Amino acid sequence: MLQLLFFLAVGALLFVFLLVLARRGKAEGGARALIGARQALYTLRSELLPHDLVARIFAREDLEFVLSLRSQAVQSMFLIQRKRIALLWVERIQAQIRHLRHLHLGSARFYARLEFRTELSLAWNFTILLVSCRTLKAAIILGGPYAAPAMVGTVAEAATRVCEISARSLSFLTGAGLEGLGGSTGSLPPFSA
Amino acid sequence: MPGPGLRSVKDAIDDLHRRTLSKLARPLDRLIYLASTRDYNTGIYYHDGLAVIHGQDAACQALAECHRETFRELIGTSLRDLVTQMEDYMASVHLSADKFILAWKKLEPYRVTVPVESDPLATEFLFANFRTALAIVEMRQAHPPPLARGASPAPSPAR
Repeated sequence: MLQLLFFLAVGALLFVFLLVLARRGKAEGGARALIGARQALYTLRSELLPHDLVARIFAREDLEFVLSLRSQAVQSMFLIQRKRIALLWVERIQAQIRHLRHLHLGSARFYARLEFRTELSLAWNFTILLVSCRTLKAAIILGGPYAAPAMVGTVAEAATRVCEISARSLSFLTGAGLEGLGGSTGSLPPFSA
Repeated sequence: MPGPGLRSVKDAIDDLHRRTLSKLARPLDRLIYLASTRDYNTGIYYHDGLAVIHGQDAACQALAECHRETFRELIGTSLRDLVTQMEDYMASVHLSADKFILAWKKLEPYRVTVPVESDPLATEFLFANFRTALAIVEMRQAHPPPLARGASPAPSPAR
């Protein structure tokens, strides 16, 4: 009987030890995801969604100027270059949104108290955005950088919306708390899209 | 060692704008000038005149800030405007168009003109615009538009 109790106690101790190890692993993974999310938010707001940059990349004014030159070589070069940049823009938005979605699907609920409605709204917006990105990418590949101007606006607006909701739900990430986790030191810029 | 105060950096920026950058009307000229004040090995900006008045750290930060500002300005420039700036810059360096275009196509000197921490998409966008603008400048040199042909001076002996 005594032996049984001893083995049960050892088993319980081992179980507690494993539980502690598992929780610590999850917390460290969560911290990495939080840092990744903060960087994704920063990249989206400061590099990919500024209105001036998006408007410039998809500016019809540039296309009209090139068409007025009546040079097939220049026209073709311009469209190739602009298509590459437009695809780069969509792909980078997709990548950053996936980062954010990963955090929200995985560890955000361990850190942030998200209302069910907020989670639902985020899930809906993530889905809309990723579908829009895929559609826009296909449109650009098939029809060139000026094939779907309305879709560009939709993607930019949806990405801005996702950033806003995500930033609100992760507002605890600002300030000294995150510096302790080793996140990037730059402060999040305001939305400009 | 503490860095320069915000005030001294701001003073250095004002000084730089007033004495130097205001004389360079085109953003492209400003970008090339500001990039040339940066050490290729360290990324640190140097300007003796500014450093004497405001200190090396403030001068370096002022040059870096003006560089970033000019880069943003060029990102927002239309292709038409960039072509004009490139043509004017080409005329200002007193080099034959052929030599200029060949050097810019082969060496792509604009690659070293961007600020270090500029974001990759904006940088790629500017490089793409430079390549297209260069192609347009080259095309215009080979086939000047009818109006410009009548008004342009005789071709230089180098061509």
